[in-house]
Amino acid sequence: MIEKEKLKKYAHLLMFDMEEKEYETLQEEFEIILKQMELIEKIPNIKKVSPMTFPFINEDAQLREDEVGDYLTVSEVLENAKYQVQDQVKVPKVVDSDV
Amino acid sequence: MYKATIGLEVHCELTTKSKNFSMAPNQFSSIPNEHVSTIDLGLPGILPVANKEACEKALFTAMALHCENPDEIIFDRKNYFYPDLPKGYQITQVTKPMGKHGYLDIFVDGKMKRVEIHQLHLEEDTASLEHTMKYSLIDYNRSGVPLIEIVTEPCIESAEEAVIFLEDLRDIFLYLGVSEARSNYGQMRCDVNISLREEGSKTLGTKVEMKNINAFTSVKAAIEYEIKRQSEILDKGEKVVQETRRIAEDGKTYAMREKVDALDYKYFVEPNIPPIPLTEEYLTGLKKRLPKLKLERYLTYVEEYQIGQQEAQVLSKERMLSDYFEEVLSYGADIELTVNFMTSAILSTLNKLEISPQDLWITPKMLCGLITYVKDGKISLDHAKKILYQSIEEKVDPLDLIKKENISQIHDEKTLLAFIQQAMSQNREQVRQYIEEGNVHVINFFIGQVMKLSNRQANPNKSLELIKEELERRKNNEK
Amino acid sequence: MYRGKSITELRELLDKKEITGEELFEKAITLAHFFQDDYNSFVTILEQTKVKESDSMLNGIPYSLKDNFSTRGILTTSSSNILKDYVPVYDATVYKKLKKAGALLVGKTVLDELAMGGTGTTGHTGVVKNPWDKERMIGGSSAGSAASVALGIVPFSIGSDTGDSVRKPAAFGGIVGFKPTYGRISRYGLFAFASSLDHVAIMTRNVKDAAIVTDVLKGKDPLDMVTIESEKENYADMLDQEVKGKKLFYIKEVCGKNIYQTSEDAMLKETIQKFHETLEECKKLGFTIEEVSVEKALLEALYPAYMCISCAEATSNNANLTGVQFGTRKEGNTVEEMMLHTRTEGFSELIKRRFVLGSYILQKENQEKLFLNACRVRRMIVDQINTFFQTYDGMIAPCSGGVAPSFDSTSEKLSDRYLILENHMVIGNFGGFPSITIPYGMIQNLPIGLNITGRVKEDAQVLNMAYQIEKITGMKNIYAKVGDIDV
Repeated sequence: MIEKEKLKKYAHLLMFDMEEKEYETLQEEFEIILKQMELIEKIPNIKKVSPMTFPFINEDAQLREDEVGDYLTVSEVLENAKYQVQDQVKVPKVVDSDV
Repeated sequence: MYKATIGLEVHCELTTKSKNFSMAPNQFSSIPNEHVSTIDLGLPGILPVANKEACEKALFTAMALHCENPDEIIFDRKNYFYPDLPKGYQITQVTKPMGKHGYLDIFVDGKMKRVEIHQLHLEEDTASLEHTMKYSLIDYNRSGVPLIEIVTEPCIESAEEAVIFLEDLRDIFLYLGVSEARSNYGQMRCDVNISLREEGSKTLGTKVEMKNINAFTSVKAAIEYEIKRQSEILDKGEKVVQETRRIAEDGKTYAMREKVDALDYKYFVEPNIPPIPLTEEYLTGLKKRLPKLKLERYLTYVEEYQIGQQEAQVLSKERMLSDYFEEVLSYGADIELTVNFMTSAILSTLNKLEISPQDLWITPKMLCGLITYVKDGKISLDHAKKILYQSIEEKVDPLDLIKKENISQIHDEKTLLAFIQQAMSQNREQVRQYIEEGNVHVINFFIGQVMKLSNRQANPNKSLELIKEELERRKNNEK
Repeated sequence: MYRGKSITELRELLDKKEITGEELFEKAITLAHFFQDDYNSFVTILEQTKVKESDSMLNGIPYSLKDNFSTRGILTTSSSNILKDYVPVYDATVYKKLKKAGALLVGKTVLDELAMGGTGTTGHTGVVKNPWDKERMIGGSSAGSAASVALGIVPFSIGSDTGDSVRKPAAFGGIVGFKPTYGRISRYGLFAFASSLDHVAIMTRNVKDAAIVTDVLKGKDPLDMVTIESEKENYADMLDQEVKGKKLFYIKEVCGKNIYQTSEDAMLKETIQKFHETLEECKKLGFTIEEVSVEKALLEALYPAYMCISCAEATSNNANLTGVQFGTRKEGNTVEEMMLHTRTEGFSELIKRRFVLGSYILQKENQEKLFLNACRVRRMIVDQINTFFQTYDGMIAPCSGGVAPSFDSTSEKLSDRYLILENHMVIGNFGGFPSITIPYGMIQNLPIGLNITGRVKEDAQVLNMAYQIEKITGMKNIYAKVGDIDV
């Protein structure tokens, strides 16, 4: 079973915390999914298959021409930010910024 | 003695109209948050749309650095949290970078050195952060600007090599027109990895990383400082700590506070950008557009054209000047004279007017015509240069200027002599000064008089000759 | 005179000028408010509308939109606390197209938080209830959309389908759920859950209406690179084509006639029996239907593979929810602390568990064994289905092993049970196949749905087959006739 401490570390790297009980539920879930994924490893010849990212080959896909199009006004950029100073988004100090 | 092993990661912003994955302008602005789209802001529901021009410029640069290109364009996500990264991931290339296994040959102390390129990939820049004592401010203008990263193998051995490599790399960016590469705007910046090992030892020492250095002089200072610092540590029998350091304004490097464990970026293929196949045909077509680069031109100038190394360096450094020079030669101009014109009159004019060769009024063809006149002895070199300046100023073809001079000027000795006689009879005192006091300055005075009397039509050289003769004749007559 | 009417019927009334768009909108919001307390379909019900001139089939037709589509100036929460006050500054392509067509947005519908769930119980504004039985769930994640159509509040709703998030709740609500080919409809402005699986999908009460809405929404969008070129012809005009000779298959391991013989689940048995009865009816229409077999291990791998891929993509897709440039920010002394508090308080437990799982799957040391193996399973199953599609025109299956579950019967915890029958519709997302759910019967007065999936880009054929089968089910245009209201 994956140790709770590890799960806590993973959660913190994802910038959130959870309750003790929630970590326990998560441990159980990990048990199940990892067991199921072990079964997948046993599927014959699975290693020979190339992993699929896109549902199918999209022949219509194309790169965009380099042109300027729609973009936001300064006030739209800032509209949803909680705090602003001098038309910039204000956040608490970045700790490891080393100014 | 220790040997340094240095690897560079160079970031360079590409010049495009729009950003890498959005249609907001890719343009420097001092007004915060002026060039930001929904995509650059990482709003919920946005999707990246890859910029063709940025992809081509990255591929193009990879080709110029002799890299292998991939069979398709694919992007990956690099996942980490930082306030300058609005999506919480950066779109970059890991699976199939635009270039792999390339190199750049540089000249160090007259010797050729090959710097191996590990890979070149296309990614997006982050937003910019401004820190105050109490809080930080975010400007998203830079978010999503196309950026190429070039990673060298750890094969650079000195600060000097590193700087030459960076300078040559910048010249390539400018030659290719992929970036303005202005380091004072942060358009070109680099990370330096450096380790020391005992001379003769094959095992590399502990690697120290220095991040985000803008100026090439700072790169030099940082490397030199690190070599000194690490040497002192090793001399004491101590161990160098693997860490990230930053360079301060005093030229010293300082350890940065960092999280203990290395970040796992959890890379995976960007699912919103379907693979774009790169056919052989397409890549070959792109390769054909690749210009001859600095080094190749330099070598041609020195070896084939027998031009001096210094002049060859000047003429090959910038693509536009080099293109101009080569075009003049292509019309059959004399090489030596062309080099002379280019490195003196042309270059000084360009510097004075602060324009590029392409904006110069005199075309390479006109310049070739002028040079040919000199070569054929029709006019003197000095006179030709005067014509050149006049031509630029008056925006008249230099050959037309010469023709005009020839047609309108009075060459006829009789006519000129009549002007001279008139001038001398009106200014007897000056004639006396010449005859009795041997004052040669009066010659110039009479040229002025002749020019005045002839409405500036008298040929100056011819007049000079005749004035001298006439004065001598009168002097002899007195005797 | 409005409630429960189809797009086609309303079109006729509008064209004959027997009613106006404004009046239809008023009726729709009256219904929306009337049912809101009991069923909780909506996060936001709009107050007013503006009818535009257009010659679109959808001009003046009310509809609802899942609350994970970006709507400029209209609250869009994705049913999560972290976005509970978020008002977007831009429109999703889908919303833009509907506005241009003159369709009338009635409200934004409740979903499972961030579309990650299948129960309709995890939205920040509460549980969505099944219009056919308030003690039961409608399924999710497009729960409010399904409820709003099943209650007859609107003739159509736009949802999103990443695993079966439109097709499953459609089945439990007795309505039609259509997920076109991946890239047929632009995802720009749809809050991403798992980008390689996310589809915009449509809910209606009959197949023709689904075709009509698809016709308005389909097409290449320069803002979504995965979109594909679409036919100029309207799918709605191709529904009457002959289906005689068309070949369908069903997978024995999913819904074979006798595989659940030993089960004690009477509901399951009845569902399968009704399914096979429907197949017999389909044969009378001229369909050839055959049974095929797929390695059971591969089918059992579907759900874990789906979990791995979707959770992995979801952790990354939702990494923008930090409270920095938008969202409900919580205070902190440093920016890291601020993000930590914002996300800790902004996400529910389930979401956090999914994110930890997804990020674990992507970790360097686990990626090969977990993420890439899941992507390999994806290819294996898609290749297998495509092989069948060389012989058959479509795949047919029941959407679930029974009717909508009651609230106390399941939890969102991962489970070993029903690995195959409850999760096979994810095949449609793995391969981007067009896939439609239509109701095919009632058990204990609750609807059950069947699913037809076809070849990539053959949306027209899937709609055509479903349209013909719909004729024999007797379930066209049904809705839950609850509530004492007459509008």
